[in-house]
Amino acid sequence: MTIFLIFACLTAIGLIAYGFQIWSIRSKLKTNTMNIRKDDQCFLPSACFCPPVSILKPLKGLDDNLFDNLESFCIQDYPEYEVIFSLQDHNDPAYKVAEKIKEKYPHKDISVITERCNVGLNPKVNNLIPAYKIAKYEHILISDSNVMANSNYLQDIAKHMKDPDVGLVSNIIKGTRGRSFGSIFENLHLNSFIMGSVCFLDKFLKMPCVVGKSMLMRKKDLEDIGGFRAVKDVLAEDYVIGEKIHKMGKKVILSSHMIKNVNEYWGIRKFMNRHSRWGKLRWKIGGIRYLSELLSNAVFMSFLPIFLWEPSKITFIFAAGVSSIKILGDIYIGRHIKTNMNCLLYCLSPVKELLIGFIWFVPLFSNTVIWRGNRYIIGKDSMLSLCPETGLWSWRYRIMNTIKTRFA
Amino acid sequence: MLLCDFHIHTKYSDGSVELRRTVDLFGQAGFDVIAITDHVVNGDTSFGKLAHRFRYSVTEDNFDDYMSHVEQEAKRAWDKYEMLVIPGVEITKNHRSSDNSAHILILNIKEFIPACWDYEKIFLEAKQQNALIIACHPHHSSEIATRDTLFLWNNRERYAKYIDAWEIANRDDVFNVISLKKYPYIANSDFHRVRHLYSWKTLLNCEKNIESVKNCIRHNKGVAITLFRN
Repeated sequence: MTIFLIFACLTAIGLIAYGFQIWSIRSKLKTNTMNIRKDDQCFLPSACFCPPVSILKPLKGLDDNLFDNLESFCIQDYPEYEVIFSLQDHNDPAYKVAEKIKEKYPHKDISVITERCNVGLNPKVNNLIPAYKIAKYEHILISDSNVMANSNYLQDIAKHMKDPDVGLVSNIIKGTRGRSFGSIFENLHLNSFIMGSVCFLDKFLKMPCVVGKSMLMRKKDLEDIGGFRAVKDVLAEDYVIGEKIHKMGKKVILSSHMIKNVNEYWGIRKFMNRHSRWGKLRWKIGGIRYLSELLSNAVFMSFLPIFLWEPSKITFIFAAGVSSIKILGDIYIGRHIKTNMNCLLYCLSPVKELLIGFIWFVPLFSNTVIWRGNRYIIGKDSMLSLCPETGLWSWRYRIMNTIKTRFA
Repeated sequence: MLLCDFHIHTKYSDGSVELRRTVDLFGQAGFDVIAITDHVVNGDTSFGKLAHRFRYSVTEDNFDDYMSHVEQEAKRAWDKYEMLVIPGVEITKNHRSSDNSAHILILNIKEFIPACWDYEKIFLEAKQQNALIIACHPHHSSEIATRDTLFLWNNRERYAKYIDAWEIANRDDVFNVISLKKYPYIANSDFHRVRHLYSWKTLLNCEKNIESVKNCIRHNKGVAITLFRN
């Protein structure tokens, strides 16, 4: 019974944390509504603060909905901006999509550049460096290829830069359009844990938690923290840039303008790979604070007594009750952020939480990641180093690869 | 070069993705030309009867709906992605023996062609409609779930004159016999599921319109194949 009570208390802590996350999302969205009212007089771009912006789009491979994602950045309701699609080579399948977009909008300022850059170990930063070199404007927006934005997005985030003390503006991300189990899990996770945590850190702890899908900043501020070269060997380049700008004394703003991350056809393996990678970097950056993620997973905690104590009526009812609360909470958030997800799909939320609970342990046993085709070891503060190709490491991976190939 | 896939199934037969989503999937991935080729299955065998029973086949009854839907999507695809969508079918003659089975793509089809007709009649009707005739997966394939379709290859001396091109690669398989015989070739995905997007494709060096595409394949100049991977 003691074990059950311990886990019941831990579950209660998780539920309280989840409640705070919902609260912080709600209050962030309220800010959005208030801002819209306040900015009613600013319905024309010419009436707003709209500095010229260079949008840097590092591309690698095909993301779900890539054409629409890229197109959404070319049809912004904004007076002056350029879009730079940056790739490592012509053979990347995203190259053709970028070229098509450029052909579709011949009057827009769109560039497609292909330049192999091997300055650092972070492939995204390697992709960004050539784009940054040709960026014309002082304000740069780094935006991932898997996000889709509304036409007022640029206008909405650029206004924050009017305040010279603001160093970086990032956004809330909403996962949409899941059509496979992997993408439904991904969207559920983005819309509950990730969104909740980012809003929670912003509201209650005033900590910058920048997600690299959208980062608006000035070139000068980026140069002051050492430019892209300062984060060339870091896995969490977005978080580190945000933290460095914050430490420099500038404000890091989380805009309440929501951008969409379209995940349609993910497999479960892709979902698990991404979150074990993100888990590893949070473990390396946060250290002992990483434990709070497990504690905030109320569903996982509520299921543990079934295995660690006994599979009895009370443990099952307890787990089912907590799962129901989680489902209802996720539906509540989903309604607020208008995900248009079928209500029945929210029943998968506890399954996803259990998977995430197991993934939580992966970083404790493994410090390597495979990202964009390369294998790295993650060190402190998510510093990357290449996996040695000789010795014990190489044998370990050769064996694993052989097993994987056989199963494939 | 135009990135092309001429062998795509939708929910009109045994594909798992609806027509509109299929078009979007290829459009979002930057394709230039695709052909929608749902099965038209012969109803004179037990396999065929099952396919008709479970609606895994385009039939004479729904052919007009199928064609108008493909045309509607073709217009949308052109406006949005500048992607050419060619209407087609896969004439599916399934028999117990692989040696008697054959699948034939008819691209740019105009009128319904029943799969229970004999081969010559099908080919002549397709020629009459100025459609393109492609022999699908003509040799032994590695797919465990599907049976081989060897009839056309086994009877190539008789039927090669009717066939505009042969699939030299289909999804993950490459048929080297087509190369050895120096037959005109293309490569397709035989798309049924989303993951089949990443497979063998055709690259054509021609204008982006149906007649140029058909001529390019028929003359088999400016044709290349590529393994499309993410």
